[in-house]
Amino acid sequence: MTDVIVIGAGLAGLSASIRAAQAGRRVTLLTFGLGGLQLGQGTIDVLGYTTSGETGAGGSGPGPDRPVARPFDQLPGYVRAHRDHPYAHFSVDQVREAVDWLAGLTPDLLVPGDGANHVVPTALGAMRPTYLVQPSMVWPDPTSVAVVGPRQIKDFYPDLAAANLEKTAQVRTKGYHIDLPARPGEVDSSPVAYASSLDDPAFLKRFAELVAQAIGDEQAVCLPAILGLRRTDAWRQLSEILGRPVVETLLAPPSIPGMRLNEALTTQAKAAGVRVVLGSQVTGFESDGRVITAVTLRQAGRDQNFPASQIIYAPGGFESGALTMDSYGHVHETLFDLPLVGAEQKDLLTGDYWADQKLFTVGVGVDDSMRPVSADKQPVYQNLRVAGGLLPGAIRWTEKSGDAIAVTSALAAVDAVFATSAPQGGTN
Amino acid sequence: MKKLVTDVVVIGGGTTGIGVLRDCAMRGHRTILLDRADLAQGTSGRFHGLLNSGGRYVVSDPESARECASENAIVSRIQPNAVERTGGLFVVTPADDPAFGDKFLAGAALADMPVQEIDPAQALAREPRLNHGIKRAFLVEDGTVDGWQIAWSATASAKQYGGQALPYHKVTQVHHSNGQVTGVAATDLKTGEEVMIDCSFVLNCAGPWAGQITRMAGLPPVAVVPGRGIMIAMNHRLVNTVINRCIPPSDGDIIVPAHTVCIIGTTDHKVDDPDHLVVPREEVQQMFDSGEELIPGFRQARALHAWAGARPLIKDDRVAATDTRHMSRGMAVIDHSQRDDLKGLITIGGGKLTTYRLMAEHIVDAMEEQLGQSHPCRTGDEVCPGNEPGHNYLVTHRLKDREADRMTSPIICECELMNRSMLVDLLKQNPLDNFDDLRRQLRVGMGPCQGGFCSSRVAGVACEEGVIDATRSTGLLKLFLEHRWIGLWPILHDAQVRQAALDEWILHGTLDIGHVPSPTSVERDPVDDAPIDETGPTTMEELPPGARAPQPATTTRRRTRAPRSQAANTPKETK
Repeated sequence: MTDVIVIGAGLAGLSASIRAAQAGRRVTLLTFGLGGLQLGQGTIDVLGYTTSGETGAGGSGPGPDRPVARPFDQLPGYVRAHRDHPYAHFSVDQVREAVDWLAGLTPDLLVPGDGANHVVPTALGAMRPTYLVQPSMVWPDPTSVAVVGPRQIKDFYPDLAAANLEKTAQVRTKGYHIDLPARPGEVDSSPVAYASSLDDPAFLKRFAELVAQAIGDEQAVCLPAILGLRRTDAWRQLSEILGRPVVETLLAPPSIPGMRLNEALTTQAKAAGVRVVLGSQVTGFESDGRVITAVTLRQAGRDQNFPASQIIYAPGGFESGALTMDSYGHVHETLFDLPLVGAEQKDLLTGDYWADQKLFTVGVGVDDSMRPVSADKQPVYQNLRVAGGLLPGAIRWTEKSGDAIAVTSALAAVDAVFATSAPQGGTN
Repeated sequence: MKKLVTDVVVIGGGTTGIGVLRDCAMRGHRTILLDRADLAQGTSGRFHGLLNSGGRYVVSDPESARECASENAIVSRIQPNAVERTGGLFVVTPADDPAFGDKFLAGAALADMPVQEIDPAQALAREPRLNHGIKRAFLVEDGTVDGWQIAWSATASAKQYGGQALPYHKVTQVHHSNGQVTGVAATDLKTGEEVMIDCSFVLNCAGPWAGQITRMAGLPPVAVVPGRGIMIAMNHRLVNTVINRCIPPSDGDIIVPAHTVCIIGTTDHKVDDPDHLVVPREEVQQMFDSGEELIPGFRQARALHAWAGARPLIKDDRVAATDTRHMSRGMAVIDHSQRDDLKGLITIGGGKLTTYRLMAEHIVDAMEEQLGQSHPCRTGDEVCPGNEPGHNYLVTHRLKDREADRMTSPIICECELMNRSMLVDLLKQNPLDNFDDLRRQLRVGMGPCQGGFCSSRVAGVACEEGVIDATRSTGLLKLFLEHRWIGLWPILHDAQVRQAALDEWILHGTLDIGHVPSPTSVERDPVDDAPIDETGPTTMEELPPGARAPQPATTTRRRTRAPRSQAANTPKETK
């Protein structure tokens, strides 16, 4: 017997599962894949940029796409300017508490927030704003940086990153290479192979020696974000050997920092009693018109109905296929066919690559308890709540806001479940 | 200013111009070809890739079919590596009139075009995805051809005979005095240098742009009526045989398997400006519907990319249909000595890729006649360099190559199996290439991810090899992504929407590409419709390597597009 079914194992699904389990509910987490965290950057975004020339609350003045220094200070103004934004469902305190809750869950992996955004270097040489970072990503404000990586990794090019960081971080930089495949003989080593190898102290030592030989007297060292998977202190050891701060630089997926976060949260979920069912695709559902009574689970080629009491639906957005547009240009939510907000707008897509595409703001409209609602604002199903990437009104990759939207909406959904139903008690 | 002296200048680096360059050079004329963009970047690189058996013309124009049938064999022989011998089928779908098949057979007999009617069940066994309701099927010798490969290997052949091709050279004027052409002025767009070429003959092979060239000679304009057609590449080879609908030529009646994809085409709409070809969503719908007729479920297949090409049609009423002697079918030759009393200039319009060699032969014949010369044409006799005689293209070639070298060079583009050494070799050969130039040769960025993963690697490798500095490399990366998007947004649906969102997460969400500095001069024309895919000159002029000290600026995102009138005034920093 399950009190809460959570669908989706990204940040929203994991957060909802942990929260509900910690509150004593019996939770089953159904997921087809491994969740979206491993495709992201492995930090927690709240708001990195404000867009479209709206005036920020901090008097930052109008202008497109301004970096945000203190996200919670700017949220009220940003939400006033974007009434349809997912954050409009929440108070600033709610967002802050959700983010702090998450940081508290994984104290070794996320540096507690102090209200200010961090900036993290990326493989293209941007200094990307984000709120909670992993300890290996804290920018030490150096005046000079060595950017160094192994030749055998194909998503990190020290010369390109260094030259661009010189402008974006306003530091003296230089790119260096080391020659060390993750496994002997490889010319094409994946970040996962490196991270696993760096879990091995002997490989880490060899890696550090080569870096030390390669670089000059720079104050800090930027390395690709491959510094250990199971052990999370590889960066500290490297830093000690090199005698200066080491900073992880964000790479295209698979994301090692994202995998660390996923691992930590999945471990927490299991420790809290969540039953995690991998490889299970939810393909359909049964309903009496008012509530969803069961979801259909496809596992090992067989469909079975899974009775549902409360459902938190956190499958992600267009990137996961939960939202899609068909060849006629109609946008759908693919499991429950939920009503969408924004799908009827004109010109959902335009030919300007740099413009925000309206398509990606389309999503499932909800009330403040995260229940999907129809056009007349009535809940579609009494026991269905959504969280994370399904919510409309934000292009998360542009404004750097997806993580806090996910966590806050997940907690709001769980809290709304508590408000309407008591635990069923009994034992599993 | 650079000065060059030659006999003949060919304007236009499409397959027609390149065929002419090769033919001129082989007949002993000193010849220079100019194009304002890359070779075969216009119409020759924007078609569906059909090497025509003649089947598409047998009913309407058997003579044209005869030419296609014989040129198909010649091109397959002299440029085998550019051609895949897929074979072709003409099928009568349930919606079509079976009686047309009889006209088809009769026309084929008249044109000496090989054709064999087969049982629909045999056709379905060969291509199981075809509409199971097909009523008749005809097997023909269609093939598929890579227009870029044709262009490059013919250029290489021309070079062996002293011919020169100068891409990214924009013609600015055609000089003449006393009724005789004397030279051509051009600008080297990659270096900014002016080039003056003395010559006595100009062959205007600029296709849809031919009218612009005659204007540069100060002549009354030649009426060019570009016909825009759209094509859509699908992610898989849904068929391995060219599939034609056995009906009078119409929109969306052909699916061509080419490389790792298959391409559906096409439409035909008159346009005014061949530089601004849109891919209207309604025409995309038309293609999807037509695809369904041939392959049920076509709409659920993954569409990858769309593009539009301009047919080079010329309608000139100043010239009565006089010079038909030197015309291939579907081709127009305007001799300006008759039309405008200007010797040494011939303008060519129309034509089709399959017969490019034959057209070139006719054009050079026409030139030699005006010059009072007559050298034999030998372009059909010699295999072009770089081609292994008798070995046609197979879609598995690259897989075989990578199996051999995967332990020595990393794969940079997984979709198209391009490795690092292929990229580095080409970069070092052509250090001024932009990423679209590289793409046309290597197919990098043309697969399912459309550059989401591989394009930043190309920027990184170019920088690491010291070929392109970081600032220009970043600018070229952004330009490449802009150009990929032009062909993506009109066809986005289902799986490719998901891919586009993932690419956005990677490039913007993780790597924050919008806030990486790039040259301020990366700016596009303030036009509202989609410009032609991979714009050459307009944008490259603004990215000269080392010609201007680049200033950092960021490319930021706008929530909505500025209206046309304001776009021109938008400060550069906001682009």
